[in-house]
Amino acid sequence: MKDRLEQVVAKFASQCDYLEVHAEETEESRVTFSGPRLEDLGKKVDFGGNVRALYKGGWGFASFNSVDRIGEFAQNAIDQAKLVGAETSELAKTDPVRDDVLLDLKNDPRTISLEKKVEILKAYNEQALGYHERIVSSSTRYFDRNRKFWFANSEGSLVYQERVDIGGMVAPIAMKGGDSQYFGVPFGSSDDFNVALGLEKRIDEVCEISLGKLEAPKVKGGEYTVILDPRLGGTFIHEAFGHLSEADNVYEDKNLQKVMQLGREFGRPFLNVYDTGLDKGHRGYLVYDDEGVPTEKTYLLREGKLVGRLHSRETAGKMGERPTGNARQIDYRHEPVCRMRNTCIENGEASFDEMLAGIDLGVYCVSAQGGQTNGEMFTFTAGNAYMIRDGKLAEMVRDVTLTGNVFVTLKNIDALGNDQAAHDGPGGCGKAGQFPLQTSHGAPHVRIRNVVIGGE
Amino acid sequence: MREIIEKAMAKGASSCEVFYLNSLRTSVDFETGRLKGVGRTEERGATLRLVKDGRMGLATSTKLDEVDRLVDDALATSAFGGKAEIEFAGAATLPGVETAHDDVENLDIDRVIEESQAEIARILDYEGEINAEASTLRDVQEIRVLTSEGFDGSFKRTLYRHHAGGRLIEGDNMLDAYAYFGGTNLDARRDIIAEVIEDFENGRTNVGVSTGPTNVLFTPRAVADVLMTLYLGVSGAMVDRKISPLAGKLGQTVFDERVTIYDDGLAKGAYESAPFDDEGVPMQRTPVFESGVLKNFLTDLRTARKLDLPLTGNALRAKRLVLTKDLGKVPSPEVTNWRMEGGTKSSDELLAGMKEGVIIDSIMGILMSNLTAGDFSGNVAYGLKVENGKTVGRVKDTMVSGNVYKLLRDNLLDLSSDTKLTGRLGVFGTHHFPYMLLKDVPISTKG
Repeated sequence: MKDRLEQVVAKFASQCDYLEVHAEETEESRVTFSGPRLEDLGKKVDFGGNVRALYKGGWGFASFNSVDRIGEFAQNAIDQAKLVGAETSELAKTDPVRDDVLLDLKNDPRTISLEKKVEILKAYNEQALGYHERIVSSSTRYFDRNRKFWFANSEGSLVYQERVDIGGMVAPIAMKGGDSQYFGVPFGSSDDFNVALGLEKRIDEVCEISLGKLEAPKVKGGEYTVILDPRLGGTFIHEAFGHLSEADNVYEDKNLQKVMQLGREFGRPFLNVYDTGLDKGHRGYLVYDDEGVPTEKTYLLREGKLVGRLHSRETAGKMGERPTGNARQIDYRHEPVCRMRNTCIENGEASFDEMLAGIDLGVYCVSAQGGQTNGEMFTFTAGNAYMIRDGKLAEMVRDVTLTGNVFVTLKNIDALGNDQAAHDGPGGCGKAGQFPLQTSHGAPHVRIRNVVIGGE
Repeated sequence: MREIIEKAMAKGASSCEVFYLNSLRTSVDFETGRLKGVGRTEERGATLRLVKDGRMGLATSTKLDEVDRLVDDALATSAFGGKAEIEFAGAATLPGVETAHDDVENLDIDRVIEESQAEIARILDYEGEINAEASTLRDVQEIRVLTSEGFDGSFKRTLYRHHAGGRLIEGDNMLDAYAYFGGTNLDARRDIIAEVIEDFENGRTNVGVSTGPTNVLFTPRAVADVLMTLYLGVSGAMVDRKISPLAGKLGQTVFDERVTIYDDGLAKGAYESAPFDDEGVPMQRTPVFESGVLKNFLTDLRTARKLDLPLTGNALRAKRLVLTKDLGKVPSPEVTNWRMEGGTKSSDELLAGMKEGVIIDSIMGILMSNLTAGDFSGNVAYGLKVENGKTVGRVKDTMVSGNVYKLLRDNLLDLSSDTKLTGRLGVFGTHHFPYMLLKDVPISTKG
């Protein structure tokens, strides 16, 4: 495959300013229970590739399944780039990389038989369904993907990478009257099947919480002081600041550049935020991005001030900044765009009790259902929540979706815990029609003042 | 494809089904006011489902030169697979529906570029500071379903999707406005730039709103998002799992009598229209709610049989809610193209009659709500405050929430006579919805 890619690059590169070729093979196994029924036990083999060409600042892109016709697609991509290009191509300089990144796994999911995987998931599923008569259904799923990537470009890079991606969730669904409530145990990893093992205690806990949510009142809408647990804190920073840091939003928009000027203060001096590809084991772990650029730990906020952003080679080149290894594609059908890896808030110094103290009325938000952003405003949804009354945890409430505004909410973070934890789940991040991309995030407990929560 | 069936049967399957997709997508994207990229994506693959010893196996491949591997993978999964609860589709009389149109298939890319440039120029003419975008996607699909039970059908489908708009940043204030149309032909084309400019103009000033129950006029785009709760509730799969709030209510009045919704798998020019669904079952127009009465659940082969319900031809292999084709996905009952009947007053009249309230056009974060229970909660990404029949400015940093089952039963004030083509999450699908005026919708905001 390497030879083939290099041959194509050699043959076509002279027609454009820059050319890169990707090929990819994925083997996937999936197990999904919906209630007691094994809904899906499936295998998938996905092979394909793409060619991306840059000509006078314009991109052409062609993806394919049949590698025999790779030359035809290379020509397509170049012709399209020529249709587009009318300016100058600017890619940040990087040293050509020739490397093989082989798997280094703790517990290799490929060594576990499909039968064993079904057996493990079935046991979890039955445990959840048998927990209580009101747990009428469940969503219990597992997948693993074994992926191989080949990359070559016209600057002499030739990278082969192997990656494993594991994810899943055990989620009981409780029902009473016409109302259903769920909660889940998510797991994910890039190197260890063990994350799918030993979940029994957590499953009992989430069953109990699902039942509790049936009885819990809906949160009353309004403005609150909130404490986010580390999992929701991670989702929060992903939505609140991660997406806005993706440089492809910024690099050609002079108004957004003014808003996102390096050095601008977004938070208080104890707020430090980074995005890293280096945390082995997490789903956001990545040695080289999909432009063959080595990843790194990239600080976005240091002491509350903007110090960096997430770049592709083009955005870094056009902004005169350093490439960070954030160009990623969900698969060969898509072009690499600026994406997160593992996005985290660093530890502060407060204990959980110190954070609770002094909150007369607030909400403690636990675990994450997900979130979304449009740049300035963002939402994130807790899996479960408790009222805080007079500095103490009180009754459970449900349907807690929070919203914030990047220019206000980050400054309203007034305490960070000292218990940072990074988390993985089966989901992923969506952007520009590319969903789901495996990312991770982490945070300590986070206290934020004046957060709007939806509700009656 | 026939070879896959033959090999699977020869290797011991008692019945099997092949779903084949060949898709060629072309995209033209303008970013920051200029042409940024042209792309072409070819996707070709097949999924084999088979029954062996009463158990179901499934495998998907985009490496169609390795038929044996596909068959062996499916057989391997069947060894531990779920109990087979269906019979694959047999031969059937299929409805006539036009799914492929020359105007889309032969779309001239130069013309798309010129038209997008003209759209961008109009946006910038309104306000030069807008970061303007336009995006066009054209997909030519060939779909074939073949079973060992005698079904062999194929069709070609063309899809066209276009959206344009942009972001205006003034100080730290960001305002997004986008509009969209799509279909299997170009008939849905309309002047979306006039809508985009109107949205920018109306949303340029921010005004306050207060927390509490509020009269809300949902635009067709917001209706498409809020009704995602119902897309789940009417699915036979959710009924089978005993988690649909509508389970057991067939024939009962569940909503205000003005609520009538059809799922139309044969709607002219609509994305999901086809002669047969992804299991080879003929597609049809199905009344879902008529005058507030729940008439039908949407089914696939399995749920129709299990729940003893009529087959409605709603099996799709697609990512849930956004419904982009996903080869590896097990078919499940999904909405196709929805049409909700309107009322007697125009949307302009509904607005003119509002003393105080909010118009909501776009809700962010709604997918993370507990949609199965009918609950939604999200940030009002684009909403305008209404006073004495007129919009007075944009509402920001505000949440809207509620339970759709309750709101459509107790809180419906009116539906507009005009309906509009719209998609889920702004761009997915081809539904027709009216504006929906609801009373006492929970709104939460600062202060």
